[in-house]
Amino acid sequence: MKARHSLQRTLSLGLTVGVTLLWLMGVTASAMVAQHEMNEVFDSALQETAQRILPLAVTDILSREAGTGQKRAPAMGDHEEYLTYLVRDASGKILLQSHDTDISVFDARPRQGFFDTDTHRIYGESAVSDTLFIEVAEPLAHRREAAFEAGLALLLPLLVLIPVSLIGVWWAVRCSLRRVVVFRETLESRGSADLSPIAVERLPAEFEPIAASINRLLERLRRALEAERSFTANSAHELRTPLATALAKVQRLKTELSEKTSLQKASEIEESLHNLARLSQKLLELAKAEGGGVLSEEEHDLVPILETIIGDYERLNPGRIDAQLPNTEVTSLLNPDAFAILIRNLIENALKHGGKGGAVEIRLSADGTVSVKNHGDIVAPSDMALLRNRFVRAETNALGSGLGLAIAEAIVSGAGIRLGLHSPARGWQDGFEAELNVVIKR
Amino acid sequence: MRVLLVEDATGLGEAVQEQITEDGHAVDWVQSLGYAETSVRTTTYDLVLLDLMLPDGHGIDFLEKLRQTGSTTPVIILTARDQVSDRIKGLNAGADDYLVKPFDLTELSARIAAVARRYRGNPNPVVSVGDLEVNLNDHHIVRNGHPIELTSREWALLEAFIQHPGRLLSRPQLEDRLYEFGAEIESNTIEVYISRLRKKLGRGVIATVRGMGYRLNSYES
Repeated sequence: MKARHSLQRTLSLGLTVGVTLLWLMGVTASAMVAQHEMNEVFDSALQETAQRILPLAVTDILSREAGTGQKRAPAMGDHEEYLTYLVRDASGKILLQSHDTDISVFDARPRQGFFDTDTHRIYGESAVSDTLFIEVAEPLAHRREAAFEAGLALLLPLLVLIPVSLIGVWWAVRCSLRRVVVFRETLESRGSADLSPIAVERLPAEFEPIAASINRLLERLRRALEAERSFTANSAHELRTPLATALAKVQRLKTELSEKTSLQKASEIEESLHNLARLSQKLLELAKAEGGGVLSEEEHDLVPILETIIGDYERLNPGRIDAQLPNTEVTSLLNPDAFAILIRNLIENALKHGGKGGAVEIRLSADGTVSVKNHGDIVAPSDMALLRNRFVRAETNALGSGLGLAIAEAIVSGAGIRLGLHSPARGWQDGFEAELNVVIKR
Repeated sequence: MRVLLVEDATGLGEAVQEQITEDGHAVDWVQSLGYAETSVRTTTYDLVLLDLMLPDGHGIDFLEKLRQTGSTTPVIILTARDQVSDRIKGLNAGADDYLVKPFDLTELSARIAAVARRYRGNPNPVVSVGDLEVNLNDHHIVRNGHPIELTSREWALLEAFIQHPGRLLSRPQLEDRLYEFGAEIESNTIEVYISRLRKKLGRGVIATVRGMGYRLNSYES
């Protein structure tokens, strides 16, 4: 995602390529204008040369004895001729030529004005009532070389300027997007539990509305989650008090009843009140686990919480709990209440399915690995996968809501950790083991 | 024991009051923190049962204030809040125990007895008084293998002596232990109960200090 649509990359590349193209277009236009101007200068020089040489040639030829044929102008010192000329009569007979003249360049008969051959640019001029013609030729290669060198002179600075502008553009884009990158990293690095507003100072003006929207969204999300949590907590309270009242009333009633059938009925009501209390507790725990909030904003030591919970179960089930906890702190971002719900469900599960009187082994290692093991029948592999679903129970006669492992599963998946279930328990011949690592760091 | 029950749910309060009274304790039941504060100022309680969510405030605030005044009266929190963090908050504020609603009344009785024992400094529920073996948990008394039956009032009186071993208890102090506010007390009630106890447990168990009150003899734990 990041590599595909990086604003920084797109901007850097787009700006550099755009600037380079414009630059090249500019250079091409300049070169064309320069070539045009140079051609004009060269043509003018060609014309000027022809018109200068012609009177001299005419004087020279006319003062010559008639019929002496062609004559070559003597070279004044050895030099390369850029301009060569040829003086002919109307029939094409050569009367005078410069010393390097290549006759093949010219047409058979003299022409007037500017014209191009394959290799040369030629200017023709006539004198003495169109009986004498001079043609001056200049190699086109010379002009091409001049144009090429001029173009090169315009292009050369680009070789340096393009990389410099590339770096400049990249740097400028990077600088202006730095706050945006910081903003993105802040968003990425925060945990799912952190819904506090993000700092937006020094963000480019274009991004400020986005940041403000995100902050508004976070605030709404936080309020919604808080409302949901407080609703869960309040409904727990609202449900528990009438349940407690009904249970206490039935228990008082039982002490006043002496008739066996009435006592039996009262006991049945008491039992169903207990079931109702258990089920409502589990549903509230599930709602709490699925409503998020299983992570805290700060770390807590989980050992004393585990001690408290184990203490409760030891009191209720004397002799059935075999616990070993580390002497060191085990700190985690896992919310203590969520951790308590998770562990309670695992222990209750183990006590329920561990067979009558079977010990439940609870271990917490210093690295945060919790294991809850109980003896009992091995759960078939096909049933293991179903255990995490709601209202599913393994083949058992034990009482239960079938929500315990679903609640545990909701908490661990909310916290981004994994709950391992093994049957038989690891290292044992039978039984069931739930195992997970509760340490979550920022 | 003289127990203060702070609970705003009427039905639950009634049932709890009945249960504790049957256990032989005198119960004052109030439904708000305001009344609870007045009660602890005017009466010495052996135990407070405290609900947290009350119409005029939070039980924890009351508990913190109570501890700030230097009171060491045991407090058991009765609450619908079941989160471990709430519980730790309650215990840190100075509660001795924490019971989450809905609870069994028998468990409440057991917790009250356990907290009272811890408060007395002897966690052993069985104490010896002379040749008597008294089980504070199930109110069972045995002398030379023979069980002795006590009524709840007689038991409450005996428990008051056991909780203050060797101390002189005045008649008003004993009346406080037996009767809640507003109960009609006959002028010779305490004498009547003392004489019944002496008849059942033996003459030497409770000594009379003329004009001052009564004291338990030969108590050992």
